[in-house]
Amino acid sequence: MSRRAITALSAGCLLLCAAHLRASPAGDGYSGGDYREGYEGHDYVTRSLSLDTRTQRARASDLWPVFQAPPLGLPPIPVPADNPATPAALALGRKLFFDRRLSLNGTLSCAMCHVPEQGFANNELALAVGLEGRIVRRNAPTLYNVGYFRHLFHDGRETRLEQQAWLPLLAHNEMANPSVGEVIRKLSDLADYRGLFAQAFGGRGPDMETIGAALATYTRALVSGGSAFDRWRYGGDSQALNAAARRGYELFRGKGGCASCHRVGRSSALFTDDGFHNTGVGWYAAMTPARRAIRVQLAPGVFRMVNSDIIAKVSAPSEGDVGRYEVTLDPADRWKYKTPSLRNIALTAPYMHNGSLQTLAEVVRFYNQGGYANPGLDPRIRPLNLSAPEMQDLVAFLQALTGDNVETLVADAFAAPIGDPEADSAR
Amino acid sequence: MNSSKLRNRFLAAALGAAGVCTVAGLAAPGAVADETCQSPYMAKIVGQEDFVYVWTLGIEGLGDGQDKLVTVDTNPKSKTYGKVVATLSVGGRNEAHHSGLTDDRQYLWAGGLDTNKIFIFDVHTDPAKPTLHKVIEDFTAKSGGVVGPHTTYALPGRMMVTGLSNNQDHGGRTALVEYTNAGDYVATYWMPTDDNLRGAKKTGKYADGYGYDIRALPRLNAMVTSSFTGWSNYMMDFGKMLSDPEAMKRFGNTVTVWNLHTRQPQEVFDVPGAPLEIRCAWQPNHNYCFTTTALTSKLWLVYQDDNGKWGTKAVADIGDPAKIPLPVDISISSDDNHLWVNTFMDGTTRLFDISDPFAPKQVLEQRIGAQVNMVSSSWDGKRLYYTTSLLNNWDKKGKDNEQFLKLYHWDGKQLSKQFEIDFLKEKLGRAHQMRFGAYSLYAKQAPGAGETEIAQR
Repeated sequence: MSRRAITALSAGCLLLCAAHLRASPAGDGYSGGDYREGYEGHDYVTRSLSLDTRTQRARASDLWPVFQAPPLGLPPIPVPADNPATPAALALGRKLFFDRRLSLNGTLSCAMCHVPEQGFANNELALAVGLEGRIVRRNAPTLYNVGYFRHLFHDGRETRLEQQAWLPLLAHNEMANPSVGEVIRKLSDLADYRGLFAQAFGGRGPDMETIGAALATYTRALVSGGSAFDRWRYGGDSQALNAAARRGYELFRGKGGCASCHRVGRSSALFTDDGFHNTGVGWYAAMTPARRAIRVQLAPGVFRMVNSDIIAKVSAPSEGDVGRYEVTLDPADRWKYKTPSLRNIALTAPYMHNGSLQTLAEVVRFYNQGGYANPGLDPRIRPLNLSAPEMQDLVAFLQALTGDNVETLVADAFAAPIGDPEADSAR
Repeated sequence: MNSSKLRNRFLAAALGAAGVCTVAGLAAPGAVADETCQSPYMAKIVGQEDFVYVWTLGIEGLGDGQDKLVTVDTNPKSKTYGKVVATLSVGGRNEAHHSGLTDDRQYLWAGGLDTNKIFIFDVHTDPAKPTLHKVIEDFTAKSGGVVGPHTTYALPGRMMVTGLSNNQDHGGRTALVEYTNAGDYVATYWMPTDDNLRGAKKTGKYADGYGYDIRALPRLNAMVTSSFTGWSNYMMDFGKMLSDPEAMKRFGNTVTVWNLHTRQPQEVFDVPGAPLEIRCAWQPNHNYCFTTTALTSKLWLVYQDDNGKWGTKAVADIGDPAKIPLPVDISISSDDNHLWVNTFMDGTTRLFDISDPFAPKQVLEQRIGAQVNMVSSSWDGKRLYYTTSLLNNWDKKGKDNEQFLKLYHWDGKQLSKQFEIDFLKEKLGRAHQMRFGAYSLYAKQAPGAGETEIAQR
């Protein structure tokens, strides 16, 4: 496949699924650490954590048992027959995931956009940033529970994690490796990878299949369940979910109509139909006239309206984004994006495929108003007439979807070595 | 270099090492210069500079597309005055940004904010044609995860490198990293954060752990650092960032005062809106530095009062803050009376009278181009060099993306342009930081030159 074709295929990627909702960092070192809650106000105070916390909290875990027994509320992880999950492949995939050397210039690993303590997403950017700062059109989605999805990326253009892994590796605006062969050569030459592929894949070295298989096995293991909701719904613990969240769940299933796309099953819930829908977010970004000025924050509590012509002078031309249509070329698919899971939604702000909504409350308000009206709007998106307390209850429900193993997964990620270029050169 | 100059250099180094030298006494009275924005530990050019070394960002699709050190002949007596006399491509686009000379001025350290490489150029063997001496490629691995080597600042026998980011989240939490002049890693000093202030006092609301520039006031045993933003922001498209409310929350709002000797942070001050360049006063009774906040467009004073207590104060607006003029490089005079301030968005240079540091007044404003970033002045203040590039993806797009080096003469009243090199037409790239070179620093003469310029500390 040509580099141009790869670029076209993966334009705007790092994106495996679709929208997500707002972070509520726990402040325990397993979330971001550069907290900016309340930054909009003059009374903002920092609560920053040193990066040492990563070392202090690092704790390697054996993630492999999740393939035998997934957390409460989740079905068995689908594992393809040609890539059985093995501890060796899992360990190798984890090492690859955090290795910055896997980009053309040694600056980007998978984890630089899918940051473990930021929900395996990025709480600090609406739109991802690629190699040399290149523009990525979409928000970096969370990787939690990505192994369950049949469609990957916000536009669903890939179907297997084994194949998906290569798109960001080769995309010019992501990790920008020049070729499959060059990635294989690089891994073959790195001393710290010697023997690891052979051990994981029956004597095979790094190749297009084994590299994809190892990365797929690690990301497939990032399952997260056992939330308060799961304990209440599937664990028989009637006290696990507070009253507000229980009311929120009733709205979620009933008046809000959320569950028609974010599905909940009898024995498990993925909170997605794995389908594609037009909520108006993509249409709005593409089709509405540019605002004359936008409100820009300059410091805590300090905002200015900045004229669009000033911003245009320092902006690259927009590449546009038509969503699922870019895969199918069917006009009916314009501005449709994949339904994301809602699990761990409280950890993965900002939300929607373009990160345009910052909080869960904003997301609920957006759906309550009926999305953005447009010719292709999904008929399920309509004004909901939720009261303010009802919207708060919905948010409470969404906040009850955070898995009980987040700390384990993040602490394990902290224990993974970050691959950085070594050895100076004398000229 | 003659023996008396050598003595002066050793004396200055010894005093500097003791951290108590009255560096102002080493500066020529009335001098105005980028030279005075440099480390007080560094040898200086006080006559005519022979060269300007421009650390230049490669542009994909232009020329060889890679970063390079561009050497421009600036001696008016030379046949190649105002011309590019050497280019040295280093491989890749590393987000070439700032550079700094070692205290002995033999080597120029130039950082790459993206790839974290530090390129060490030999500028003394042949000042007309620098060579690449060494590349530090393991800055991030050695430092424990620091990303974005920014300021490379001379201390006695050492280079202190400020980071902008880290390899964990590409955010703004970062550190200072110390090297020997030979390029050997010494230590990492993380910026204070709320959970670990590292002995510092949080004087206000903020302790963000961010970094940017550094300057030393040896007489006060002080280092001062400022705070910008992490890799995700400084690498991304500027317009995209301005439109991203999450990204706009990730800027530094602090200035930190350190103990120069122990490298311990002492106090963290609130300076909201991304304080960038720091320029410290030279006079023996002037216990202050200036910085500007890029986003809020204010000139700030970081000062020690009569009781020895440090504080900060916003002392002037720069342009119309509502229009976000984006103050970038600044240059102080060694008599502490004037400060040049460039504003990127309107391509303008401004001169402030800072004789009363608590009440600066703008006395001149002149447009240099569609965009302007760096300003470097000669020791005598008569020559001002301007370049354009801020960051690869922050520079203006389209026809406003001018990339040049311009020399102006300053007569105390007006700026008059002498020459201009179009870095796009010459297929060079984005012109960023300038450092001066001179044969006289190394007891050398230009080939065929009839006189020797004077260099002294």
